[in-house]
Amino acid sequence: MGKKLKGLIPHAFLFVTFGFLYLPLLVLVAFSFNSRSFPSPWGNFTLKWYKELFSSSGVWESFFNSFIVASTSTLLCTMLTMFLLYLLLRYRTLGNWSTLFYGNLIIPETVLGVGLLSYFSLLNIPLGIPTIIIAHTVLGLGFSIPILFTRFFEIDHRIFEASRVLGASSTQTFFKVALPLIRPTFFATGLMIFIISFDDFVLTYFCSGTSAQTLSLFLVASIRFGVSPVINAFASILLILIILLASLFFSFKKEARLF
Amino acid sequence: MSEALSSQLSLHVKKEKNQSSFWKRVKKEFPFAIGSTPFIWQLFFFYLPLFFLITSSVIKLSQAGHFETFTLEHFRTIFTPTYFHVIKNSLSLAFFTTSICLIIGFPLAYSIVFHGGRLKSLLLFLLIIPFWTNFILHIYAWFFVLEKHGFINSLLLSTGLISDPIQFLNSYFSIYLMMVYFYLPFMVLPIFSSLERFDHSLLEASLDLGANKRQTLRRILIPVSMNAIKSGIYLVFIPSFGEFVIPELMGGAKDLFIGNVISLFVMDYHTAPIGIAFTVISVVALLLSLIVLQFGLKQVTKLLIGGTSWAKS
Repeated sequence: MGKKLKGLIPHAFLFVTFGFLYLPLLVLVAFSFNSRSFPSPWGNFTLKWYKELFSSSGVWESFFNSFIVASTSTLLCTMLTMFLLYLLLRYRTLGNWSTLFYGNLIIPETVLGVGLLSYFSLLNIPLGIPTIIIAHTVLGLGFSIPILFTRFFEIDHRIFEASRVLGASSTQTFFKVALPLIRPTFFATGLMIFIISFDDFVLTYFCSGTSAQTLSLFLVASIRFGVSPVINAFASILLILIILLASLFFSFKKEARLF
Repeated sequence: MSEALSSQLSLHVKKEKNQSSFWKRVKKEFPFAIGSTPFIWQLFFFYLPLFFLITSSVIKLSQAGHFETFTLEHFRTIFTPTYFHVIKNSLSLAFFTTSICLIIGFPLAYSIVFHGGRLKSLLLFLLIIPFWTNFILHIYAWFFVLEKHGFINSLLLSTGLISDPIQFLNSYFSIYLMMVYFYLPFMVLPIFSSLERFDHSLLEASLDLGANKRQTLRRILIPVSMNAIKSGIYLVFIPSFGEFVIPELMGGAKDLFIGNVISLFVMDYHTAPIGIAFTVISVVALLLSLIVLQFGLKQVTKLLIGGTSWAKS
């Protein structure tokens, strides 16, 4: 009996921790269907908050801004990383220089944000969406370059040599041999950078100025303002989107070997 | 026929010669040109900003915004016990968050890998989803759970365990709850991946050779995942040192952390240099504590693993 109980401990532990992770999300979603707004007790089931959500413009505007920022910075990040890998294909020994990019993760975001803010104001660059994109790209490079480098150097480089010997140009070798081999990691990392940029608050807060409103800034502002079931409805929809993105990520995960 | 071919060939060769050395050079330099762009980006948007950050903390500007002299005035302004207290707050926040995350995270990763069974990938999936959701929504969600009329209080009230609602919010409890909630995946994911990848037959070997479960854990599992544990510790410690949104929203801004002070100073145009000086000091504090942390981890590893030398790399 004691042994049987002991064997259940890990399962109970899993149950409790996942309960801890999901309790707030479930409560959040549940309250989006409540006809009365929060501190008052449970009323009836309703969809009116969803209707209100789709007619309110503030949320969607900031959502759209976040989307633009995240996709542009992801694109920039993956492109810069690709350029670097192209160089490395030709000159492997330059790989050591990649350590120059490791600092992006070691410096806390707050410090990076302050640094970029004072830099932009020194150069008289107006703050807005472009500056947010720049900041997020810097952060994203701190993820994409180390991850893709590791993956790139795990590949047996004799494959590339073989391709060259058999007559492919270095560009052909890059696009037809190297890139297909790291493609899953590439997509998975890109997806991760997209999400990190989409969810980022600290860098955005420092680099946004007064005009640009992204999702995180909008949410913080509305939390300070008080609780509204419309936000709950929005959170539920966002959760569905994230589940979809995470499933996409998981389809690459096995080959990408991110974790 | 062969004549035509050879003439065509010679024409081709001529053409290539005419293309001069210019295109050849372009072709040769092209990878460098394209490959240097990330470095240029990194120089302009990472190293230069940090360089200017450091210099602007020791520069005095005139009213018009021109360079006047070098000064340590900004540092002198913040070299007071109040601000050291702020740094101490942030360090202890980072330290305790990291410790709690490790205490929960390692068993969690272990249980997913070894007891997850068929649900293993589903559990990993379920771990990623909160990790990817905007953390402000998490803060918002916890309000519903912890509030005076929230989920936990109404549950406890209805079962009659308590007669008055407990004040969960605006306390250290809610700050740490949120910190651990948010940073737990940063700890679990690296440990999970190292436990998942390592050869499980080593465990059987260890048990077969007469080691008990505790010895196996100490001599095999922990050494094998030590690098992952370390990266998890850094992944939690560094961002939680600069964290200021969670303490502000969950703790009611009772205690100040470095992020609060920095944003207070920097977002106000007139005191920006003081904020920057404070940023420099907190980075120094962070680097020092990282060095101490690394040293401490080395000692702990030595103590724990003892003579296991095979897993050092």
